[in-house]
Amino acid sequence: MARRNYYDIDDILAGQERVPCVLRADLDGLGSAGSGGASKVHRNARWALPYWMADRLNEEDYVDMEVSPVFSKRANRMYAASPESMQLRAICQHYYQFGLQLGDMVPEIPHVLRNMYVQRVIKVARIAQQGQNVEALDFVQSLDKTETRMLKLCQQAQSAISDWHKNQAYALKRAAAVSAAGS
Amino acid sequence: MAITTRQTEGFTMPELEYMAQHESITIVPLHRMDRIELVRGTVGPFRPPQKTTVPLWLAIMLKRTNRCRIVAPKWLSYEHLRDLCKREEQPDAMFTRLPTHYLEIAHMLLTYAEDDFVDTQAVRRLLQDLREVRQSKTHEGLRMLNSLQLQMDNLSAAEINEIRPLFRHSFDMLRQLDGLAEATEESQQQSQFADQSFAEMDDAFGSKYVH
Repeated sequence: MARRNYYDIDDILAGQERVPCVLRADLDGLGSAGSGGASKVHRNARWALPYWMADRLNEEDYVDMEVSPVFSKRANRMYAASPESMQLRAICQHYYQFGLQLGDMVPEIPHVLRNMYVQRVIKVARIAQQGQNVEALDFVQSLDKTETRMLKLCQQAQSAISDWHKNQAYALKRAAAVSAAGS
Repeated sequence: MAITTRQTEGFTMPELEYMAQHESITIVPLHRMDRIELVRGTVGPFRPPQKTTVPLWLAIMLKRTNRCRIVAPKWLSYEHLRDLCKREEQPDAMFTRLPTHYLEIAHMLLTYAEDDFVDTQAVRRLLQDLREVRQSKTHEGLRMLNSLQLQMDNLSAAEINEIRPLFRHSFDMLRQLDGLAEATEESQQQSQFADQSFAEMDDAFGSKYVH
């Protein structure tokens, strides 16, 4: 709860991840909000709600929030075993930010996230330096949003120095959209 | 005002070049000139063929109008750079001492004052090698990242600027993770939840994040 930037788009999107919940109270007329179609939802029904909603309802005791499968115990063990081969984009596009938000619930999250982050960011830095080749393509496609942003920043920094070395730091190039439209 | 992403993440290379131009360099003026008082200091009387020290921007300007000859700084010679390269390539060596703006100064001098150097191609090659070795060392340093402090001596301004976005975001992320870990630790100590995994986490944090 503490690490939220209210206006940060990535934070908002990260909070959209669904977590499984168990309803504690009978709710009338809200059946269409969950995965059922009925208009009355009973106690102990299971729902998948977005995290931001589930968190508030959990505090008000309307639902019992459970740990999302992204950070279940089994998943955490998998993350600890092989951080570099995980397909973060498939698992959860805003993996790190979602983890930061869930941090209150699951105490192993900082450890898991730190492990993942340090190992993967080293690989990201190496890819940025050596340029993308075929083997790196799989890894690049498995990065989540924060990591792709990091990759782009690294590549920009690299190209800044090499451009400047070739005296092209101020070069004006035709925008891609313009040249595509002209041809 | 519109700013590009590159400008928010640190300095741009032309900005660094501008800042590097304040460094002093020795020249041999070709024309006589009296003392000039500028805002940042006095540029002394030019009495050729005596050598004088001027800021780099003035040296470049004079050179482009053919009014001086530039004396290469001591560290920009083939022999010195070769020694530095050898020392740098030794395993577990720290970064060698180089002027803070060595990349920019070297670039400007090699672009504008080529005839004042002995063998520019070799010097360029050596500079490239030096830069690559230092870059691989900064990547090693990334491995030692923790949320408190990372000390890398003798990095030049351009190199720091290059790694600034990556390291800054990594520091932020690690600090956030640490804050989260502390918060959960405190709340855990108040409950009777003493898991085995929690004890392992304690050990991991106690041993300074060495994986």
